[in-house]
Amino acid sequence: MAGTVIGDGLTIDGEVTGDDEVVVHGTVRGTLTTSEAVSVAAGGVVEADVTASSVSVAGHVTGNVTAQDRIDIQAGGRLVGDIKSARFTIADGASFKGSVDMEV
Amino acid sequence: MAAASIIGPGTVVRGNVRGNGSLEVRGRVEGDIEVDGDVALGEDAAVNGNVSGAQIIVAGQVAGDLRGSEAVMLERGARVVGDLSAPRIGIAEGALVRGGVRTEGEAPAPRRAAVLPARRGGERSDFARPAPKPIAVPAPKPAQPAPAAVAAKPAPAAAPALAVEASGGPPAPVVPALGKGVRGKKKTKRS
Amino acid sequence: MARMTADTSVLGAATVVNGRVSGEGALRVEGRLNGDVSVSGPLELASGAAIEGDVSAGAIDIAGTLNGDVNANGAIVIRAGAEVRGDLKGKSVSIEPGSRVDVRLDTDFSLDIEGRR
Repeated sequence: MAGTVIGDGLTIDGEVTGDDEVVVHGTVRGTLTTSEAVSVAAGGVVEADVTASSVSVAGHVTGNVTAQDRIDIQAGGRLVGDIKSARFTIADGASFKGSVDMEV
Repeated sequence: MAAASIIGPGTVVRGNVRGNGSLEVRGRVEGDIEVDGDVALGEDAAVNGNVSGAQIIVAGQVAGDLRGSEAVMLERGARVVGDLSAPRIGIAEGALVRGGVRTEGEAPAPRRAAVLPARRGGERSDFARPAPKPIAVPAPKPAQPAPAAVAAKPAPAAAPALAVEASGGPPAPVVPALGKGVRGKKKTKRS
Repeated sequence: MARMTADTSVLGAATVVNGRVSGEGALRVEGRLNGDVSVSGPLELASGAAIEGDVSAGAIDIAGTLNGDVNANGAIVIRAGAEVRGDLKGKSVSIEPGSRVDVRLDTDFSLDIEGRR
């Protein structure tokens, strides 16, 4: 059960920090930092650098993504930015443009 | 129905939160909140900014103005420094407010009252309590309607237990006022 | 200046007072009072009744119309159906939805968060 849910009609302009899981159906512009998992749902838009334990992208992310554990870009998902994580997957049908750093 | 959003208890937003749908804040927001749906600020929530929404329910702390297009309700644990405005405003016993409070705007048709999600005390809302008993009045008096816009005073007022002096102007009459249709016991000559 | 002698005084519904009311004990206003009120006990303003003036009391329960500043040692309660305009200062202030108010509340407390104010 996610601690923070940004619904599809909502836009946050600024820094989001904390230790809740974050699920984004709406829009976050700025920065997004949490010690838990981040999930950008289909339709979700993140224009921010993201730092989390793990990041799953089914929507659109523009920004650098750093995850302690893993980064997964789902089919239909799109990430433009550099990713840094111990493991990652880019699904068939996903879109990615950036560099990958697997040294965490 | 527009989506529901939650700012979790461990989350801090430094920036503005805007959009459609309802919003529950259990964490902290340093910035303005402007949504077209309901806003619920939980007991541990803190908002340093203005909040505008449809029905705004506050159980936490706010430094900023609260503007509801339908209602602003402050529950027992609310601590607000700022102005409140809405067609319907409720401030429960125990809530603390410093600022202006003004009921204004068109009150829309009443709908299901929004309540905060379950909180520690178990109660859902502070606004479902019966009114406390009025002050006990020792002197018995006849039941009478409030004067309001009535031109005639139909029944004599109970003799007040205090003597009142008017400053300037004629002294207030204590005699029963006879209204229309009430006949005095004077003998009148028929004409 | 009027002095109340009984424990609880009543200004009846058909009574109009132009002047100052002060004293010990409780006061229930059912009529109309144009002037300041200062009582040590609880003051109750009944539905349909009105006070035009400043009020100082032990506690205040308002169901009618009040235009003036209010100062209470204890609680200020504004009932649905009341109409209140003025500055209110009390130990606590509660307002029932359905009332009409244009008031300024000045309660002593501080927030844990840094405010803009």
